[in-house]
Amino acid sequence: MLALADGARHGYAIKQEVESRTEGAIALGPGTLYEAIQRLEDGGLIEETPPAADAINGQEAQRRYYRLTPRGWTTLREELRSLGRIVDLARENPRLRKGLA
Amino acid sequence: MRLAARLLLRLFPPAFRQRHGGELLATIDAESRAPGNQSRTARLRFQSHVVVDLVAAACRSRARQARGAIQQRLGNGPPRLPASAKRTAMDTFANDVRYSLRQLIRRPGFAAIAIFSLGLAIGANSLIYGLLDGLVLRPFPYPDPDRLVAVGVTFPKVSAQTSYIETLSPAEYSDIRTVSSFSHAASFDLGNRNIIGGDAPERVFTALLLDDLFPVIGLAPALGRGFTREELAPGGAPAAIISHRLWQSRFGGDPGILDRPVRISGRAVSIVGVMPPGLIVIGTDLWLPWGGDPLTMPRNVRQFNVLARLAPGATLTQANAELATVARQVEGDHKAQFAEYENWQLTATPWAAALLRDVRPAGFILLGAVGLVLLIACANMTNLFLARSSSRQRELAVRLALGAGRWRLTRVLLTESILLSLLGACLGLFIAWVGLKGASGLIPAQFQSLGLEAAVNVRVLTWSVLLALASGLLVGALPALQAIRTDPHESLRADVRTGGSRAGQRVRQALVVAELALSVVLLVGAGLLLRTFFNVQRVERGFDARGLLTMRLTLPRDRYPGDAAGVFFDRLAERLAGLPGVRSVAAASQFPPGETFSTRFTLEGETPDAKRLPTSLITVATPMYFETLRVPLRAGRWFTATDRLDAPLVAIVNQAFVDRYLRGVNPIGHRLTIGNADRQRPWTTIVGVVANYRNTALTEPVRPALYTPVRQQTEWNQLFVLVRSDVAAASLLPTVRQTVSAIDLEQPVYLARTMDDALAAATFQQRASALLLGIFAAVALVLAAVGTYGVMACVVSMRTQEMGVRLAVGAQPRDVMWLVLKQVLRLVAIGLALGIPIVLAGGSALESLLFGVRAADPLTIGLVSGLLAAVAVIAAWVPAARAARVDPIQALRVE
Repeated sequence: MLALADGARHGYAIKQEVESRTEGAIALGPGTLYEAIQRLEDGGLIEETPPAADAINGQEAQRRYYRLTPRGWTTLREELRSLGRIVDLARENPRLRKGLA
Repeated sequence: MRLAARLLLRLFPPAFRQRHGGELLATIDAESRAPGNQSRTARLRFQSHVVVDLVAAACRSRARQARGAIQQRLGNGPPRLPASAKRTAMDTFANDVRYSLRQLIRRPGFAAIAIFSLGLAIGANSLIYGLLDGLVLRPFPYPDPDRLVAVGVTFPKVSAQTSYIETLSPAEYSDIRTVSSFSHAASFDLGNRNIIGGDAPERVFTALLLDDLFPVIGLAPALGRGFTREELAPGGAPAAIISHRLWQSRFGGDPGILDRPVRISGRAVSIVGVMPPGLIVIGTDLWLPWGGDPLTMPRNVRQFNVLARLAPGATLTQANAELATVARQVEGDHKAQFAEYENWQLTATPWAAALLRDVRPAGFILLGAVGLVLLIACANMTNLFLARSSSRQRELAVRLALGAGRWRLTRVLLTESILLSLLGACLGLFIAWVGLKGASGLIPAQFQSLGLEAAVNVRVLTWSVLLALASGLLVGALPALQAIRTDPHESLRADVRTGGSRAGQRVRQALVVAELALSVVLLVGAGLLLRTFFNVQRVERGFDARGLLTMRLTLPRDRYPGDAAGVFFDRLAERLAGLPGVRSVAAASQFPPGETFSTRFTLEGETPDAKRLPTSLITVATPMYFETLRVPLRAGRWFTATDRLDAPLVAIVNQAFVDRYLRGVNPIGHRLTIGNADRQRPWTTIVGVVANYRNTALTEPVRPALYTPVRQQTEWNQLFVLVRSDVAAASLLPTVRQTVSAIDLEQPVYLARTMDDALAAATFQQRASALLLGIFAAVALVLAAVGTYGVMACVVSMRTQEMGVRLAVGAQPRDVMWLVLKQVLRLVAIGLALGIPIVLAGGSALESLLFGVRAADPLTIGLVSGLLAAVAVIAAWVPAARAARVDPIQALRVE
């Protein structure tokens, strides 16, 4: 979902984005990728959108593009907030601080 | 790759496939073109990653779809909480599975080895279990097969054997009917009948019923009806029931069959029913009322089988107790007239066990053997897991330090091993499926004619899954235990090298010793069976099987009365002998190695023995019989063309007969009466003695045998024809058939096969068990070798520094190598010390399968010990050589 925060992308682009952001640590398999897309779509967190104007031509146009729905945005923000709280809590622990600084 | 992905895409729900299929494939294409995926290893890794990923995602997708469907059916269930808020046991489990899958993908080589070796072992188990299930445990399609029993009989005065087939008389059957533990009982005689009502006459294996058999076996006709009481009574309207197989093959599955007139052995008969498909009774295809009046049959004419079904609530023990009472009653009433009733016994045994008792021991021994193979495979896998978990110790320690519960950790590890063994079971089931498809070669001919077959069914499936779960637990237990004991403090601080601790080493060596010991057991078993097989092949048969074609003919009584049958066979033999390439032709009521017909007899000047009634095999034969089999004459003369009904009765006996009954007497000219001593019978004079040949089985001692000329009797209308020729025996068959139909157009030739085939069938069990056990032993040996290699490689890498020091202070590479090999030989020695006592103790189980060799055979055990030591040394050679090549400087620098 974080990969869609910058704007609409198609499946393969999401995968590339995730890989480049995590420096290859998370490599989504094709099955996992599209299964996740389907799940998010079913949950009303993302939706299909017409492709961006600059990708009208060529192969890129045949792919489906996805963007976050308003509900998706809310959920993403909530998730990030709660993850942030956990990290904050962890920082308060002196024994863990060193590794997280 | 694209094709594989397309196939895997089928695993997803159709909606998903439609929506994302194209893009998914395009993504895979794009990925595979990525510069990082061009080398061979990278491509392989990428491909296996994609496959596992697709399977896993498909499972998730399907599961989600199913969940959705259930929720829809339940209406608006409770609102779903976000996943993180509700963590059920199922989620944890799913997490473990996901984690394990990821672990496996990360080490595809490890996963492949594990799945392959466990798959092979589980596959062998499923295969043997499938065979056992199809042939021994549940061979029949009857309801409640365990409650269907056969009644067998033992006459200790005649033989110690209990027989179940064609052994009781109608009078004895009506005695048995009084047993109240049986809800139904039926009796039938087996025979062959000619059926006409198509293009060519055909012999059909038939059961002639004294009573309604179908309620006993619990099956009803699929078409038409069963027999009525009137039809079963003596002199009832002629009616027949046919098998599904016969209905299809002979009548093309014609639904109007019930109205069609059919001629069976010369009589017009109406077919009243067709049975459902599947085996009914020992491969019979036709059921007819017996037709005669059973009360007129003497008590000692025993040609009937008795089957019964246990009454609800009754046990086999109760039935046998009641049968014992019946036997004592009959003994009291009839012993004076029929001496064989002294101490006779009636025994009820489940039908499958009674019919298949010859193969049961071999089946269970093979099942035990594949069980051992699986244990060895498990030991091997445990070793692999231990090696890996010691290299994973750091990861586990970190998890423990972060607060993971030890139970949770155990579960993660066990999930991994069980997942692997379940994947192995999938491969195993595939192996079993392929194996059982091609198993017709593994099913003895005599069982094929019974219509028995083996296939992967629910029971085989369950068995495989249970085995997989058990081996998963077994494999995972030790590594998990080790993980639990891990002290995170120690592990994180210590510099963990691959190979683990000394204690870990000891565990792994113990596992290898166990593998070696189990291999000894399997190898010795295989060696003994192999020697048995060769012994059976080499056994002095006493007759010449090469170039012999055998077949059977049965002439109907009404058209061949009196000695007309004998005349027919004489004429046939004469004509066949004139065919080009034919050396000699004979007809006989039976031929080796499967002779069964036997008779009582009384020698002149002897009163019937009080303890044992003398019995002998009896064969009626044409004069050329012995020459055709190439059995030499020891004394006296052969049968001649003048030995006819109007001449004095003559007989030939074999050497075993002379040794047993005529010791110290000149047999030639000695007289005897053949048959029961209950009435006056004519004297028969012994005119010749022939050499012994293995008459009942290749592995059985020669039984006393009597031979009488075909032309001096009027009883036998069903004989085998034996043709010895210089041409290929099988190519002769069409000409033989033509010759037969030239004499009588209506006579089918059946059971035609070469003597070599008959012998192959007779030695089938030895061949099949030697082959199968040999394969299992070879697999075991390979697994043990792999295990030995793994452990020794580990030992060497642990002792690298020590080796370095030794080399630095002047040890020769040879010494270092010897050091390693010595350790291997010590493991082998312990393995032998453990395995050989098991062999000696368990040998008695194998004894019944052996021939010409004892279970405690020193030669076999010696050879196996040598083989095992050699294989272990070869397996350890590479690590040993590596140890010898250690560079002292390098080794010491590590420190």
